Amino acid sequence: MQGFALYPFDPPGDISALRADLRTWLADHQPRGDIVERANCWASFDAGFSRALGAAGYIGMTLPARYGGGERHPLERYVVIEELLAAGAPVGAHWIADRQTGPLILRYGSEEQRQRYLPGIAKGELYACIGLSEPGAGSDLAAVRTSARETAEGWRINGQKIWTTGAHLSHVILALVRTEEGSERNAGLSQLLVDLDTPGITIRPIIDMAGNHDFNEIFFDDVLVPHGALIGTRGEGWKQVTAELGLERSGPERYLSSHALLAALIDAAGSDPDPAVAALIGELTAEMWTLRQLSMSTAAKLAAGEDPMVEASVVKELGNAFEQDMPRRVQAVIDCGWDDNADLARLLRALLIASPSFSLRGGTREVIRGIIARGLGLR
Amino acid sequence: MSGARDMLCDTASAVFAEAASAGIAPVEEAGFALLLVPEADGGFGGDWGDLNAVLQIAGVAVPDLPVAPLILSGLGDVDPALHAAATVSLMAGAMGQALGLSIEHVNTRQQFGRPLGKFQAVQQSLAVMACEVRAVDAAAAAMAKRLDVVGFDAEAANFEIAAAKLRANRAVGVVTAVAHQVHGAIGFTREYELHRVTIPLMRWRGEHGNDAHWAQRLGRQVAGFGGRGLWEAMTARAD
Repeated sequence: MQGFALYPFDPPGDISALRADLRTWLADHQPRGDIVERANCWASFDAGFSRALGAAGYIGMTLPARYGGGERHPLERYVVIEELLAAGAPVGAHWIADRQTGPLILRYGSEEQRQRYLPGIAKGELYACIGLSEPGAGSDLAAVRTSARETAEGWRINGQKIWTTGAHLSHVILALVRTEEGSERNAGLSQLLVDLDTPGITIRPIIDMAGNHDFNEIFFDDVLVPHGALIGTRGEGWKQVTAELGLERSGPERYLSSHALLAALIDAAGSDPDPAVAALIGELTAEMWTLRQLSMSTAAKLAAGEDPMVEASVVKELGNAFEQDMPRRVQAVIDCGWDDNADLARLLRALLIASPSFSLRGGTREVIRGIIARGLGLR
Repeated sequence: MSGARDMLCDTASAVFAEAASAGIAPVEEAGFALLLVPEADGGFGGDWGDLNAVLQIAGVAVPDLPVAPLILSGLGDVDPALHAAATVSLMAGAMGQALGLSIEHVNTRQQFGRPLGKFQAVQQSLAVMACEVRAVDAAAAAMAKRLDVVGFDAEAANFEIAAAKLRANRAVGVVTAVAHQVHGAIGFTREYELHRVTIPLMRWRGEHGNDAHWAQRLGRQVAGFGGRGLWEAMTARAD
């Protein structure tokens, strides 16, 4: 049986210099945040940091210069993302806009939409959230019911979105809505880019089990947006969303978002760790190194203009398992109490509590395995 | 893949097909001991990318023959870690074969009126197995790339060899368990060919360094880097 094709990760330019420049920049600009903040850094919202990062040219790197972008190669952006995550930088504010909303607007948006939104995204000043899930449509996205009807004045939206990370801090939502009355499943869906200050929108917090406010539910009550809010082609929403999810599932965040715990474990172990701790460090390192190869190969395939749907799902599946297992395995060998105040103990506790979400966000484990099974020719 | 490597893989496939019934002699006669020997010394002048490709095919076709030692013997006395590296490539091939046989079986075998592969529980198991196979493929390829960059110097590739052998060892448990589970009783027979790859996988897991050996060796190396140093070392070795 032929394995999956591996794509060579071959970014243009001087990658070592790019890393060195960014590391220097981070040494000057990264907030001395608490170690727990750094541990799940792509959820850490810091608008000041995002603005400074944007000004330094590290956001919107692949966008054309005429929209404020850096016209860099996607794999150069990949290297920057790796460095930000490995350093535990607070990238949560601009994360979604930079990773998926910006590229989607560039690919499917009108010229007016590009000029209106992309420069703010590249500056690290305009933040976006993902409007996919609904109370009856989580893993089964084709069950989306939120409706948008075309009227003389524009699109009139009614319905509800849920699990919307960062909606309370974002400026726009890219919502998947049903634009054809009576349509079913993945037909008749479209994407609308909606400014969150539009009248008729209500955002309510959902507090997670760790006590954090990341999630929200969003209610659309006769919300009227202009005709120009439609992104891409009417009725092609499903196809656009599927492409968008490819961007979401294979990035380095799938194995580096909790890197602070591994780093803290290594530091706590010292240069001569006991055998059980050494073995655990070795196992986690082998897994992380392998995940990095898989993620880089997938990024290279994406950069080559191909659709790495299955590969991206493999990265998400293995990356989620790695990040979910890591706190449990660390807890199994490190002697520390639940209420200890040492950095490693606090970090461990925070990630144990956060870890159930890792195999949910961006598609549940079961759905992701279903995509892989389809790729194997089983469905 | 280069044209030369395509040709090499075609040759390897043909020779290993013959060796499956005739034993190691056809592999010796075809000159595979010269694969890594420089052209100036009368060899093929291949690299570790070539070796990885050839041994993956061997892992599929002739997992019970000592192909890796034969090829490494052409280099004279080599660092034992290179045997571990070669074993990873064999394992990647054998795991791919175990996955291929499993997919073929569940798409053919019918139970309860439909192919096994249509059952979600079976699909989920095979997806888990495929992830492991893919991980070992990627680890083997990256290790081979590093060995080529450092010119076969096992010491300079010690991180990549340790990580790849350890990752491959850890995959053996999942891959052999799922492959046998989805095959049912037929996979446990002498007649059916699944054991031709699963038994070698069980053997290779303990050869040239078991999990504990590589985990501690890699772990001690990483402890020396420090927390931030791990990331810096990992990127410096690959950029």
